[in-house]
Amino acid sequence: MAINPHFHHTDDQLNEELVMIEAAKLDPNRFAPLYDKYYKQIFNYVHQRMESKDTAFDITGQVFLKAMLNLQKYQFKGVPFASWLYRIAHNEVMQLFRTEKGRKCINADIGDLRHICEENETPFFEEYIPAIKKLITELNEEDLQLVELRFFEKRPFKEIADILDITEVNAKVRMYRLVEKLKKSLSKLKV
Amino acid sequence: MEPNFNIDRPKVSDEEINRHKDFDKLVKQFKEKSLKQAQGDESWWKNKKVQYSTVITGVTVICTITYFSLFKNQSKQKNTHETLITNAAPDKKNKKPFINAPSQKLRVPYSAYKINNANGGSITHPSSSKISIPKNSFVDKQGKDVIGDVTIEYREFHDIGDIVASGIPMAYDSAGTHYNLESAGMFDIKGSQNGEPVFIKPEKNIQVQLASSNDDNRFNQYYLDTVAGNWQYLQRDDAKPIFTNTTKAPTLPPKHEDLSKSSPKLLALKNVVEVIIPKRIDSVTTLYTKKAAQLPKAKEPLKPAQPSKGRPTFRLDGSYNEFPELAAFDNVIFEVGPENTNYTQEMHEITWSDVKVTQGPVKGKNYVLNLTYRNRSEKLVVYPVLSGADFAKAQSSYENKFGEYQELVEKRKASEQRLMAEMQAKQDAYLAEQKKKREQYETEKAQLFAKYDVERQNQIAGSFKTMSNSNRAISLFNVSRFGIFNSDCPHKTPEGNSVNPIFVLDNKDNFISPDFIYLVEHNTKSVYTLSAQDAFKINYRPGNDYTICVFKQNKLYLCSKTDFQQAVASGTNKFKVKSLAGESENLVDFKKALEI
Repeated sequence: MAINPHFHHTDDQLNEELVMIEAAKLDPNRFAPLYDKYYKQIFNYVHQRMESKDTAFDITGQVFLKAMLNLQKYQFKGVPFASWLYRIAHNEVMQLFRTEKGRKCINADIGDLRHICEENETPFFEEYIPAIKKLITELNEEDLQLVELRFFEKRPFKEIADILDITEVNAKVRMYRLVEKLKKSLSKLKV
Repeated sequence: MEPNFNIDRPKVSDEEINRHKDFDKLVKQFKEKSLKQAQGDESWWKNKKVQYSTVITGVTVICTITYFSLFKNQSKQKNTHETLITNAAPDKKNKKPFINAPSQKLRVPYSAYKINNANGGSITHPSSSKISIPKNSFVDKQGKDVIGDVTIEYREFHDIGDIVASGIPMAYDSAGTHYNLESAGMFDIKGSQNGEPVFIKPEKNIQVQLASSNDDNRFNQYYLDTVAGNWQYLQRDDAKPIFTNTTKAPTLPPKHEDLSKSSPKLLALKNVVEVIIPKRIDSVTTLYTKKAAQLPKAKEPLKPAQPSKGRPTFRLDGSYNEFPELAAFDNVIFEVGPENTNYTQEMHEITWSDVKVTQGPVKGKNYVLNLTYRNRSEKLVVYPVLSGADFAKAQSSYENKFGEYQELVEKRKASEQRLMAEMQAKQDAYLAEQKKKREQYETEKAQLFAKYDVERQNQIAGSFKTMSNSNRAISLFNVSRFGIFNSDCPHKTPEGNSVNPIFVLDNKDNFISPDFIYLVEHNTKSVYTLSAQDAFKINYRPGNDYTICVFKQNKLYLCSKTDFQQAVASGTNKFKVKSLAGESENLVDFKKALEI
């Protein structure tokens, strides 16, 4: 499973980030390095889930505003600060979909679909794409989130757990069940 | 409503994303919101219901404090119990580190290299791995560019001995499935300046060409995420073989240039062709140009002219004693040229007190007559003409002089042609020599390069035979952060047989209770870390070769391949181990003991 290295930090990087966060708690202007560092990631996360680019930019702005307003409550949990931002972004996006359901969309690359097949020990053929799309769009919201986070965005379980506010073990168990489910469905695909 | 599903939707460009970034606006919004929140808090306090509730809560708090003060002694014991429980909680400091090197003596040492951040550079490790660092790749904790030298610490792990010694866990979890990684080469890279860690800029990548032992295409690249405690898949490892016994080693054209620079014979020939002969050709040209310039020059005599009909003329009629410079113009008539618009007839009626004759606009053909009387002065362009006997005499003299002139011109032409022929002959000789020397140079060069290529091929082929396994392929890693990178192939945990082992020292009833053990599977080059939590349960594939490294209080014990086979063959769970004293002192002896 390809994990996106962009989302990972070494101990040194985490410590460095913690220094930035503590500085920003004392002076909002010192939030700038964190804003610069994560703006693109958060925008991509939000935009990945919707059609409208403008709405995605608006929501990204809201995410950072909420982060600044709630920074005093932030507690370091050994994961990148991004995880906390992603959770805010996740809540903002879900809030939007609750009010305007039609806005939800799924974005993936062909490579992602290939990964899903390979992860489920199924050979990938381009002819499968419509069937895989159908399979994914029919997943429930919880499973769909897992597919997006794990297969499309290649996040580690620790981060997925943090975004979805569940334990890492729970994230792995859910993923295991999902993989089994996908395996069954994918095994029925025929060229 | 089903969501839309887009495949390969175009990405929003970084430029567009950056255009929307506005930190000042964010801070402004933050300040406004903070202010509103503060005002909201104040209005909330003004609410009467809240005020009443606060009073009630206050009374309750006072009662509670009084109650606890009265029963303080009774609650003390309970507090003590809580403290004990807290103390019993696991101490983070005692937690086993994620990368747990079993012995400091077996530690694979780092090699340290200095690289100037502004210049970047490349490092060649003794294993022939190469690290290419672009300019300005490093930033400090504050994200500022590092100024000066950066220390790059780098080490590699190539075999199961290195892996056991490193303490780096090789277990890999992918989507809930457990694997163990077989490594084709692993490296650990970090950077610092004056002891402070530095970081790789997000947009920069360090390239590591890892000299690897395996050019199979079944390996992937992984990064060890020490925070998540798992390996992260990066990409397929497209390891490129350096060359094989059956393929021809690549020729090295750039080396030829160096070679030609180091051969004195080639250098001398090149000097003759490119410097000495061109200089000689130039000097011939210069010599013959000078000789031609020294040939006597013929000056064409001036042909006498008669006055034009109807044109006014002046004749100088003055005292040549008083104006000796005008004596040369005795008998000469000056015809006023049509270009003199200032000319008037009355000029002939004036007795000019001063006359000067100077060179005219066309040298040797006309003159300027400067006439002065009191305050008046006039300038006229005049042409010298002769008339009557003067003209006939001048014409005769001209014809004689013109004949001499023509003779001289012919002579000069002949001399010039002779000089040109001589020069051309000499230059042709030099060009012929240059051509010959150039051909000689090219032949020498080709022979030298051919000889070099053969030697080089032999040298590479010879090196290949003596080359260690670790140098046979190159795996290219793009390193965007410091840490541990690995070229690996995941294997599922062996599902053949299993045994819960007991380790017996020197075949006596001297049991070892390990702190942790490493199970080394030689066939797959895999290292499994086993802990007491799993009762050190060993899963193994019958027929494969295994060694067990047992660590107990910093001491190393080893169950050899033979002892392992004997134990599983006899169906017992007692594995004979022997203490490694000298062998655990250094990595080389440890690898020998591991039989690798």
